[in-house]
Amino acid sequence: MTTTVDTTVPAGSPPAPPRATDRGRRRRAPFGERLLPYLLLAPAIATLLSLVGWPALLVVLTSFRQLGLGELVSGQLIWVGSANYAEVLSDPQFWTITLRTVVFTAACVAATLVGGLLVALLMRQLDRTVRIILQVAMLLAWAMSIVSATTVFQWMFDQRFGILNKTLVLLGFDSFREHNWFATGTSTLAVIGLLICWQAIPFVAFALYAGLLGIPRDLYEAAGIDGASAWQTFRSVTWPTLRPIVLMMTFLQLLWDFKVFTQVWAFRQGGPNGESTTLPVLQYLKGIASGHFGVAAAVSVLMVLVLSVVTAQYLRMLVRAQEVEL
Amino acid sequence: MRASRARRTFFSVVGVLAATFFAFPVYWMVSSALKPTNQLQSTDYDLVPTSITTQHFATALGKPGFLAALQMSLIVTLTAVLFSLLAGLLAAVPLARLRFRGRKGFLLLVLVAQMAPLEALLIPMYLMMRDANLLDTLPGLVLVYFAATLPFTLWTLRGFVHGIPVDLEEAAMVDGCGRWGAFRRVTLPLLGPGLVATSVFGFITAWNEFVFALVLFSDESKRTLPVWLSTFQSAFGTDWGGTMAASTLFTLPVVVFFLIVQRNMVAGVTAGAVKG
Repeated sequence: MTTTVDTTVPAGSPPAPPRATDRGRRRRAPFGERLLPYLLLAPAIATLLSLVGWPALLVVLTSFRQLGLGELVSGQLIWVGSANYAEVLSDPQFWTITLRTVVFTAACVAATLVGGLLVALLMRQLDRTVRIILQVAMLLAWAMSIVSATTVFQWMFDQRFGILNKTLVLLGFDSFREHNWFATGTSTLAVIGLLICWQAIPFVAFALYAGLLGIPRDLYEAAGIDGASAWQTFRSVTWPTLRPIVLMMTFLQLLWDFKVFTQVWAFRQGGPNGESTTLPVLQYLKGIASGHFGVAAAVSVLMVLVLSVVTAQYLRMLVRAQEVEL
Repeated sequence: MRASRARRTFFSVVGVLAATFFAFPVYWMVSSALKPTNQLQSTDYDLVPTSITTQHFATALGKPGFLAALQMSLIVTLTAVLFSLLAGLLAAVPLARLRFRGRKGFLLLVLVAQMAPLEALLIPMYLMMRDANLLDTLPGLVLVYFAATLPFTLWTLRGFVHGIPVDLEEAAMVDGCGRWGAFRRVTLPLLGPGLVATSVFGFITAWNEFVFALVLFSDESKRTLPVWLSTFQSAFGTDWGGTMAASTLFTLPVVVFFLIVQRNMVAGVTAGAVKG
């Protein structure tokens, strides 16, 4: 990180330059003035370094230590090199969970983006009244607290009295009477994924709709005059505008969905039989629940590695698109 | 003409269906909270409650732990937001107004911290708080939420400060205000809406946060609302009415705040990313 302390400043306060002499020359600001920004930044810097920077370093250090409950109490430092990584990476369960997390993330992101894009395109076709109704509905879904949403979904998918099973039976699908949606990991993750998409689609849809509004009407008229089909118009007029927004949303959703913990944990704590366990849940189970902090830290570091690849791409894109002004 | 009317009707129908999809769970939460228990635990099909009761809300409020959890959530959330607002504002002003060495580096630090997956720092945070004897204490959680909301707060506030023309401050200084006076009398009042929006974002983040609240508190009697709510099965059994009432109460402040700042929301969420 770039140094935040101005090393060119001598320790003592230099004599303030006499005011009368600065004719046209840039006046060198007095010491206190030059120190001011650093003083103002100090609380934020201290916080970020000690509560984000230090833990980020600590997680790497911990991943090379043998740190169980015993060592935690005795305070013993036992370095084990890459043993934790060897343990994690040689565990076939880890690879099952990693694959599951990747597939789950990919499915959620794809569904969210397709859903968001469709809703955004739909919004443009709607009358004002229907559009506002849809927008309010989406705001509600988006605003809902995750834990509240989780409990509602559990209630809707309840085996005996859940409204979904009742509705399916009413529609003639009698096999869904008392169907248990949480009997298998796949089914559990599908419900969790639905919940995640339900809350994420509004955000994507609003962002894409804002992009759509920015496209001049003339372009569509011109395309119409040229006899372009709906698909051609979409490809050559709409898509070029939406592409960067879609890309940005993809990155954000990837970052979010990969590390989802709350929803997965709140539904079935990674069950049944660990079949809906994802990497963040594994990290919790290894570390907090069973006290193998070194191993859990290795899982964390592996997660961070995956996430940093995506994050780096995302930041690069932002800076290049000048969305971010440094 | 005819075709276009059919088209419009078609899209309207799809639009209403989509709206139903998004609104239904919210409706179901509130309506279940208002239904008497015998209508919830029933195999009859009823989308609209035939009678309404506030009994579940009374149950939820009266459940052991709810008020304690509410109090704890409020204290932790508000303190953390206040801290990040203060530290964020202090840092945002020089970042937006002054040129100094290390400025870009610091902005990059903030951006990286904003994108850092705090969930992946669960283990070291736990160990740090344990070493500092802050497990099962409010300050421990406040610190985590402070760190979680600060990068975003700082970045957004910097955008808002940036948006206020520096000329205004200079005019005030010409009129005899000191630098501090100009800031307090001119910039600060103009920052009002920005401060509100930013603190609402922070509030929503901290209010909803789950995993750190779960990990840093092992003491069952001390929980924040999300953790308390997630353990409803032990607290409520199969009392879905009570659960839905508690969920409604928990989500209510978020929805209200959300509606206040919804205009800034898309821009806000992509932040670190926004120009402000």
